[in-house]
Amino acid sequence: MTGRRLPPNLVIGGLIVGAVVAAAIVGAVWTPYDPLRINYRARFVPPGGSAFPLGTDEFGRDVLSRLLAAAATSLWISLLTVSFAATAGTLIGLFSGFARGWIDRVLMAFNDALLAFPGILLALGLLAVVGANKYGIVLALGLAYAPSVARVVRGTVLSLREREFVEASRVMGNSEAFTMARHILPNCVAPLTVLATSMFGWVLLAESALSFLGLGVPPPAPTWGNMLAASRPFMGQAVWLGVLPGLCISLTLLGINLLGDAVRDRLDPRMRGVA
Amino acid sequence: MRSVRLTVLLAGLLAAPVGASAQTLTIASKADIRGTNPGVNRDGETDAVAFHMVEGLVAYQEGGTVGPMLAEAVELSSDGRTYTFRLRKGVKFHNGAEMTSADVLWSWNRYMDPKTDWRCRSEFDGRSGIKVEAVEAPDPHTVTMRIDRPQSLFLDSLARPDCGMTGILHRDSVNPDGSWKAPVGTGPFRFGEWRRGQSVTLLRFDDYAALPGKPDGLTGGKRPLVREVRFLVVPDPSTVKAGLQSGSLDAAEVPDSDLAELSKDSRVKLHIGSTAARHAVLFQTTDPLFKSAKMRQAIAAALDVNEIVAIASDGRAKANGSTINMRSPYYSAVQARGAKHDPALARKLLAEAGYKGERIRITTNNRKSVPSFNIAVVIQAMLQNVGVAADLEVVEWATHMDRFLKGNYQVMVHSYSSRLDPALSFEHFMGPKDKQPRKVWDDPEAQALLEKATAISDAEERQKIFDRLHERMLDDMPLLILFNPIDAWATTRRVEGFTPWEGSARAWETSVRP
Amino acid sequence: MLRFALNRIAMAVPTLLIMAVSVFALIRLIPGDPASLMLGDLADPVSLSDLRARLGLDRSLPEQFAIWFGNVLAGDLGRSITSNQPVLALVLERFSVSAQIVVAAVLFASLVAVPAGMVAAWRQNGPLDVAVVALSTLLLSIPTFWLGLLLLLLFGLKLGWLPVVGYVSFGEDPWRALLYIVLPVATLFLHEIGVLVRMARASTLEVLRLDYITHARAKGLSEGAVLWRHAFRNAFGPTWTLIGLVLGNLLGGIAVVETVFTIPGLGRLLVDAIFARDYPVIQGCLLFVAFTYVMVNLVVDLLYPVFDPRVALE
Repeated sequence: MTGRRLPPNLVIGGLIVGAVVAAAIVGAVWTPYDPLRINYRARFVPPGGSAFPLGTDEFGRDVLSRLLAAAATSLWISLLTVSFAATAGTLIGLFSGFARGWIDRVLMAFNDALLAFPGILLALGLLAVVGANKYGIVLALGLAYAPSVARVVRGTVLSLREREFVEASRVMGNSEAFTMARHILPNCVAPLTVLATSMFGWVLLAESALSFLGLGVPPPAPTWGNMLAASRPFMGQAVWLGVLPGLCISLTLLGINLLGDAVRDRLDPRMRGVA
Repeated sequence: MRSVRLTVLLAGLLAAPVGASAQTLTIASKADIRGTNPGVNRDGETDAVAFHMVEGLVAYQEGGTVGPMLAEAVELSSDGRTYTFRLRKGVKFHNGAEMTSADVLWSWNRYMDPKTDWRCRSEFDGRSGIKVEAVEAPDPHTVTMRIDRPQSLFLDSLARPDCGMTGILHRDSVNPDGSWKAPVGTGPFRFGEWRRGQSVTLLRFDDYAALPGKPDGLTGGKRPLVREVRFLVVPDPSTVKAGLQSGSLDAAEVPDSDLAELSKDSRVKLHIGSTAARHAVLFQTTDPLFKSAKMRQAIAAALDVNEIVAIASDGRAKANGSTINMRSPYYSAVQARGAKHDPALARKLLAEAGYKGERIRITTNNRKSVPSFNIAVVIQAMLQNVGVAADLEVVEWATHMDRFLKGNYQVMVHSYSSRLDPALSFEHFMGPKDKQPRKVWDDPEAQALLEKATAISDAEERQKIFDRLHERMLDDMPLLILFNPIDAWATTRRVEGFTPWEGSARAWETSVRP
Repeated sequence: MLRFALNRIAMAVPTLLIMAVSVFALIRLIPGDPASLMLGDLADPVSLSDLRARLGLDRSLPEQFAIWFGNVLAGDLGRSITSNQPVLALVLERFSVSAQIVVAAVLFASLVAVPAGMVAAWRQNGPLDVAVVALSTLLLSIPTFWLGLLLLLLFGLKLGWLPVVGYVSFGEDPWRALLYIVLPVATLFLHEIGVLVRMARASTLEVLRLDYITHARAKGLSEGAVLWRHAFRNAFGPTWTLIGLVLGNLLGGIAVVETVFTIPGLGRLLVDAIFARDYPVIQGCLLFVAFTYVMVNLVVDLLYPVFDPRVALE
């Protein structure tokens, strides 16, 4: 064990994610200025000044404060959405894949209906019903992504259930539930991790695209997504308004994806004991 | 005379060899038109295309008064109930036929036929206002219309763009079974092609009978100078900007947020006009908190309207607390009075109103074409300064309209569309809430004043009423009117003579240099 | 094979039925109605009720659903409230526009991304892998509306190589049509590379860890043969399924690109219809998208055994 080097993706990914999470925690409790405070006399101040290190936006609001506050909101929305989608999707997929027969058909009929339902309409509909707030987005995007999870998990279950080790578990008299938990679920972790880390980024982006189409939640409280969408008209005169939240999204995605790969490598049952 | 003609001819000859591009004026449209049938299935974009093709007996002029268009004169009988329209002679339809009183009669009967679905039918059949009792054509160039009671707004209603200007159409506009085909009108441009979801193309009407003079609202000189006008659907404002800068668009309405950047761009010219639309803050007077006039006045006093206007319009519009637009002849010294910005007074009024720090909710929408969201953001910040915590609720347009029509809001940042006559403009928000929940100001006494103003035509009397209404509105503060939005258009340098009007492009009297 | 296909189509019927009912209900739960939007704030109550009656919105919801669904079964999707066009024709016309873009983008993206992902997996944690992952993550994290505008400003405005606004169909003028379609396809292409690289890499990694690869290596097969004969062929199966998913999702999500590039496609039709509460168009679009989705995935599943011999069709 001594002298074992940590894999580089774990180190880099962990550092990035750690930094982003730290920023989010800071942003939740303290920001240099009130992220909502407008200042008409200081609009479009470019980054680099001492008063506003990252500049100000079209209302003269401090971009650094907004980015920090947005980190908390954006991460929270993404985390909730991904957890919701992954949990719901895994349960449906496992159950459906294992039960087969008509239960599988009914579940998949619902699943496919949901999958074929464009996310925009789902988001608009649910936001209208739940109310335009961040939990509306979580519900809408979560419901939009859960079916993909269900399909991937079900696919894994279907391809594994005929394999020797699963057969063996059954022959040994283990219950279906035990077989599922002991032998099949761990095998779903790898594809799930990949999907979940991708989804984390999708949520950040989807929220931004919804804002662009006029369907997102454009609260005065910032998210990286709506900051990015709102910056678009000012691409020519204030490029930092788009680049900064865009960089935050990219960096977070990179960190999460690297970390996701690292976690998958460790969790993969076939890798156990090798490391 | 002869030499002038020769010059024109020469100019024509010289202009002839240039490429087709210089003969086409491409105007960006935010959305596709809904149809070509005037006043039936319409919205702002649809009206703007329709008024290039059809004209009514009368039309709106620049400042919102109504002037003759296809009629050369309109006479009103002494009892105020019979209008006599003397039609201009030699006006041709796009199919070459000459316009006569028979066409006016046919058009009117078609509009009043329920099968046509004319959206303004109820304005003229007595169900929500006046009733037109008889329309007659005593000779080929005269039409008379008799209404049930004197009404100062009759000609206004006929001229309304959302009513399709009550455009006079040739019967070739419909199929033999009466269904709609395409407009055959008298306007400066005739219908070319409609590619759904993409563009509408209109062609120059060479036999257009132009009125003399300069463009005046939707009347005045309207010579078609370009061979072709294309309304191209471009929904994204950033793409519009790129289209103008690259020259693939000739003219487009641009959001206020782009003005600062475009004014520095040598490739485009800006055309800034004002409109009679009104950005306003509506208070729900049935809300437990806002039923107190003190509360409403407190909010008004907390807001620095000049600053709001400056931010929302990039410093280009002026505050106007009146529902009457500043170009109107009715814009008097009294109308120029607005709410005063006074944070100390606001705090005092809040205390008197018994405000205990409840969070208030400001509803608005995220349309890119109006600065409602920006206004709401600024208001939220200003209210914070006097200790009022406000939450913004930003919804998309259809939801906003639903909430507006149902009166389902506490405070709303809303934008009223243009209504040019002061009485119509007051009517927009005045009325009984129990019958029409969209009404904001429910005050029977004020209502009686307004009804009087709609019945009389005497300008001086009407002015007095409008001034009293304005003062009463400021006292009661059911809504705080902020400003008339500017009408900001950009064209490429090649475009000459372009002037927008009330938020729409006018392609006539406009030319494109090659 | 035929039985499998018929079976799958039969399974799709309940999916479509669930869609139809939920779409119908959901859009009516959303506040706003087409009649009041058409009349705007100038509406007086009389013209509003006239219009609602004409559009059939004054009937009860079950009644409206029965009428609509009856017509759908008879092959009539109704007419658009805003433009009065037959919905089916409208949807088909717009779909053909979107499909060109989506199919071209996904095709090109798969050609680049799948090999790239596989190679990255083969060299896991090496410099090549890090570069591929970083680049694909970067592409993935740029929103299409930003990327699209960037390309538009660069190639349309700065360099002037490509048109900025408008659209020409292939039927009119194939060469000009190509010019108009390049940027939207490029935008989606770049974005989808990001998505697909990660998926291809992940499924290849899975396969590379399986025992038979170790066996193959142990047997002394050359690395190239191992990769080609065993790893890549097997890794392509799951990736293929995901391409199907991506295609389906894109049809719903293409609205952004179509808005930026003024393409009259299905995505924009849907978004515009949602904003205008054009119920027949929303319903028609979504039914159609669901149907296409089912068909695309059916084709994907039918072709699956070609790539993954372990799976036999039921």
